[in-house]
Amino acid sequence: MKNKLSVMMFTWEFPPRVIGGISPHVFFLSKSLAKTGVKVHVITCDFPGAPAHEVIDGVDVYRVDSYKNPAPDFATWVYLMNLNMQKEAAVIVNKLENKIDVFHAHDWLVATAGIGLKHIFRKPLLVTMHSTEIGRRDGLHTDAEKMIHETEAWLTYEAWRVICCSDYMVSHVRWAFGLPEDKLVMIPNGVNLSVYYGIENDLAPFRSKYALPEEKIVLYVGRLVYEKGIHVLINAVPKVLEKINAKFIIVGSGYMKEQLQNIVRSMNLEHKVLFMGFVDEETLLKLQKCADVSVVPSLFEPFGIVALEAMAAKSPIVVSDTGGLSEIVDHDVTGFKTYPNNPESLAWGISKILLDENYKNYIRENAYRKIQEKYDWKKIAQQTKAIYKAVLGEFSKSFWA
Amino acid sequence: MVGQLADYISALATQLVKNKVETYVVTYHDSVTGAVEEANGVKVARVANPVRTHIGVLTWDLTLNQEIERAAANIYYGANKQINLINVYDWHFIPAAVTLKNALNIPFVYSVESLESHRSPNSNTPHNMSIKSIEWLGFYEAEKVSVKSEWMHDEIVRIYSVPEEKIQIVSPSSDTWIKDAVRLYKTVAGGLKSK
Repeated sequence: MKNKLSVMMFTWEFPPRVIGGISPHVFFLSKSLAKTGVKVHVITCDFPGAPAHEVIDGVDVYRVDSYKNPAPDFATWVYLMNLNMQKEAAVIVNKLENKIDVFHAHDWLVATAGIGLKHIFRKPLLVTMHSTEIGRRDGLHTDAEKMIHETEAWLTYEAWRVICCSDYMVSHVRWAFGLPEDKLVMIPNGVNLSVYYGIENDLAPFRSKYALPEEKIVLYVGRLVYEKGIHVLINAVPKVLEKINAKFIIVGSGYMKEQLQNIVRSMNLEHKVLFMGFVDEETLLKLQKCADVSVVPSLFEPFGIVALEAMAAKSPIVVSDTGGLSEIVDHDVTGFKTYPNNPESLAWGISKILLDENYKNYIRENAYRKIQEKYDWKKIAQQTKAIYKAVLGEFSKSFWA
Repeated sequence: MVGQLADYISALATQLVKNKVETYVVTYHDSVTGAVEEANGVKVARVANPVRTHIGVLTWDLTLNQEIERAAANIYYGANKQINLINVYDWHFIPAAVTLKNALNIPFVYSVESLESHRSPNSNTPHNMSIKSIEWLGFYEAEKVSVKSEWMHDEIVRIYSVPEEKIQIVSPSSDTWIKDAVRLYKTVAGGLKSK
């Protein structure tokens, strides 16, 4: 490559704007790509207080006025936001004298910006599909859902390669849009190990705020919604307490919160289950380090980043055997798999880890090694860079080159 | 054909070709798509919307704009980048004109046939405001605005505060219609690169 490889990424969220998983994904991916020598320009939506342009660890981040045009509904807002994103990106590429090698879009939320610029500048477009409308809604029931699905299909059609974060998502996306096999690439989602460095020191005073010294900590992190299976964990609480003294810490919020609190109250276990709501980053990291076991009881899970975070924090994990979680965890090696939607099975897994110190240490050491091998951002950035290079190689033979 | 604009563009393009202006028309058709050169010498590219299901005219329009951009880019590269000017009619394809201008340094003329304020009087729903905001973007980004009458000239000054020196009246009922149109084009063509 004559010059530094240069990529322009489109994402509707980037820190400090955090709505879901795309924001941290693009944050770490772009920074890690920069470390491997790729020039990354991120085009994203604005956020109160965040600058319109800044450089973060070598990554140029541009924030676009995303509420310039009034919109009657969310989907129309998305396309109008894309109008402004596309225009701003056009100005930037023009200023850079077209020195962008690839465009990389994340999900349908930036589809039209990416598609138009691909043709105008005649550069290859890549897409990472983090989720699908048909998966989120379990089918397509309204015109809005169909429209989003067709936009996703169009985006994957226009893309040179479609990246998915798990084998499960590869087969799902392939099925949903009828894509040829060689168009899809699996590059896992990553986890940032370094955020946990140095947190070990002096956790006892922190721990004592949440649990008694003789209580083990069982941690759940996630939205309190049906597909996350949090109700399965709540139903497992008494079964675990039969065998071992533990405190259940629930981080996150959602529409099921009150219902879950009522169940806990009716079981007279309010002193054993702590609903924390949203917590700040530092508290979350410390809780993950303190946890004697982390539980991911999802009923539906495209990837399962929470499981990876727990593994990175060296907290042993118990997960339900479904979706992306099935791939992340090797049963009895890097974690404990349980039957989905089965409180007995979940309670058995939690108890197994809490009662057997040797087993617990064996699991968490294996898990940490697996994280370093497979889910390290540095490795993920290298894989992504390799895909960019492969695409550019193919592109150089096309009539656009 | 939806309104009288189709006939007008057809007549204008034919006259432009006769006056030795290389003319490409990029437009929408739901089923007859692709690029053709018609008998009058006008080259026409028609595109359809790849997204078939919509919740409103705005989502239909904003997605269709990407196909308009694709067709326009194909013309641009096919003509060895020798496109001097874009002329966009009404709000529908202003998003494409604005991106093409900022990406490829091709200035554009925004020709006003009608305004949302007249089509939907006293309507201030988010839907109407959204279309008005796209019209505003067009006035802001255009090098010149062409209108067909004194009345429309006054209306866009009144409603959008468009600077008067930006507006040109090109009336199809005038004897100098094509001359006026070509003269306007000449003042704009290549205007961005010299800046």
